[in-house]
Amino acid sequence: MTRYSAPKLAGYAGLSAVGLLTALVAARPEFVALTAPFLLAVAAGLAVATPPRLAAHVELDQERVLEGDEVAARIVVESATPVDRLDLYVHLPDGVELADGGNPLALRLAAGERRELDFTLRATRWGAHMLGPLFTRARDPLGFLVWEATAPTRPQLRAYPREDVLRRILQPRETQVFSGNEVSRRKGEGIEFADIRLRAPGDPLNRINWRASARRNELWVNESHPERNTDVIVFVDSFAEARLGDEGTLDLAVRATSAIADAYVRRRDRVGLISFGGILRWLVPGTGLVQLYRVVDALLDTQIILSYYWREIDVIPRRMLPPNALVIALSPLLDQRSVGALLDLRARGYDLAVIDVSPVPFVARPPSGLDAVAHDIWVLRRDALRHRLQRAGVSVVEWREERPLQSVLEEVREFRRYARHARA
Amino acid sequence: MITALLSLVALGSTVAYAVANGGRLAPVSLGLGALGLVMLTLAIVLRWPTLVPWAILVTASGYVGGRAGKNVVDGWAAVGGVLLLLAAELAIWSIEHDARIRTERSLTVRRIWTLAILGGAALLMNFLLLATAGIAASASVVLAAAGVAAAVGALIVVLRLARA
Repeated sequence: MTRYSAPKLAGYAGLSAVGLLTALVAARPEFVALTAPFLLAVAAGLAVATPPRLAAHVELDQERVLEGDEVAARIVVESATPVDRLDLYVHLPDGVELADGGNPLALRLAAGERRELDFTLRATRWGAHMLGPLFTRARDPLGFLVWEATAPTRPQLRAYPREDVLRRILQPRETQVFSGNEVSRRKGEGIEFADIRLRAPGDPLNRINWRASARRNELWVNESHPERNTDVIVFVDSFAEARLGDEGTLDLAVRATSAIADAYVRRRDRVGLISFGGILRWLVPGTGLVQLYRVVDALLDTQIILSYYWREIDVIPRRMLPPNALVIALSPLLDQRSVGALLDLRARGYDLAVIDVSPVPFVARPPSGLDAVAHDIWVLRRDALRHRLQRAGVSVVEWREERPLQSVLEEVREFRRYARHARA
Repeated sequence: MITALLSLVALGSTVAYAVANGGRLAPVSLGLGALGLVMLTLAIVLRWPTLVPWAILVTASGYVGGRAGKNVVDGWAAVGGVLLLLAAELAIWSIEHDARIRTERSLTVRRIWTLAILGGAALLMNFLLLATAGIAASASVVLAAAGVAAAVGALIVVLRLARA
């Protein structure tokens, strides 16, 4: 613990000294009477002051909550010595606020007393929030000496983003080889009828199409589309964001990523994550509920980190981008590096869909003057950029905060359907 | 706010008494007392605890300055000293108070009791001091020796603090 003296200790001691000396010089006993109480206070204060021996830490009832949820927390403090006044303060990071209870608070502890002080926190924003540190400040009864300490442990509160429930998601152009819920375009063992063909040796009898065989006097068998899984890579652009108040484009992108990953994992597809920004993070495609937790956990660490390093798509490990994978990119299209990476992905033949998390609602248009003109030009340049991506065969849809994610995905689906017809 | 007002009332009472009993030097007591009150108000408003002892010192100087030329020791100085201590303690309480800190009621009660006990002890000590001074007024060497010892003791405390 760090000990220091309060300003009044030096003040009282100096006042007493000056008073007593002046009384001697001026030969006025009244001066002694006027200043001696301060000397008495100093002597009494230092005599009763005891260095505190206390331990304090913060506990959370749950370490994982959903964004907006409340979580019960408590400060546990125990002292071996009496503490006349103890101030406790838990520093709360951005994204966590006090919902109920006291912070900071002041209390008194008897020797050997243990107290549990309950309070409630609310996670206002998704993320991995480190609570604390917990600061303690103890004083002697007369407030001349102060001891300060910081609790060594800091609990972590992981607030998961609230996500939309998606009823329909994007269908990839190609499927993978494992079983899943996506009807493959290829022919093979499956349920969905695809075509009929002449029977070949080895075809099972239950696949014979008796109606067609009767008409043609030879054996024809049914062919079907197998149900396969797909590989989906969610690409989150964390180079830059637009933020207004508590909301920003990265928040929207993270919530959407969580919802998309959840929807694909439910279909037994393999989902991977690339956070492309100042710090490059990736999660190798995998399937199952555990993978969903991995994706969401990885998302919590996503943040905007300023970087001037020119990253290209080559920095992403090769196994992160399996062939025939569908890449869904969530980007505000604010940084040329991420735009370049997306064009590069498309040029390499990946099935790419871009959800442009629009930064426009987060930037207020100036009422008039050159600033307003600049704003309008910026909006037009964004339209031109989207058009450039579309010409490259990328389905791009602008997503504004007020639109539900499902509606944006439907627009992407429409674009992809149209684009396929155009290619055909 | 309550502690700040009580602090100013305590200091104001001392000033009022000093002015009322100041005789021909009452304007000195009034001037220094008013200055002390202004300094204490500034210390409370600006949350500057270092200014509090200066305000007390200025007021005490006005009190003693008003009694210059009088040979009789003022017994009410014992009460005046306690009022000055209470003024300083209440002012520092007001400065330290932070509305954002949720304080347990028992802490407030205990602080009031601590102040009351400290004030009572200071009053008793002052009466004893002034009684000793009154009895031994002729034997001023003893009083001077005690005074020097006390002054040296106070200086030692200051020096130890400076070293720490």
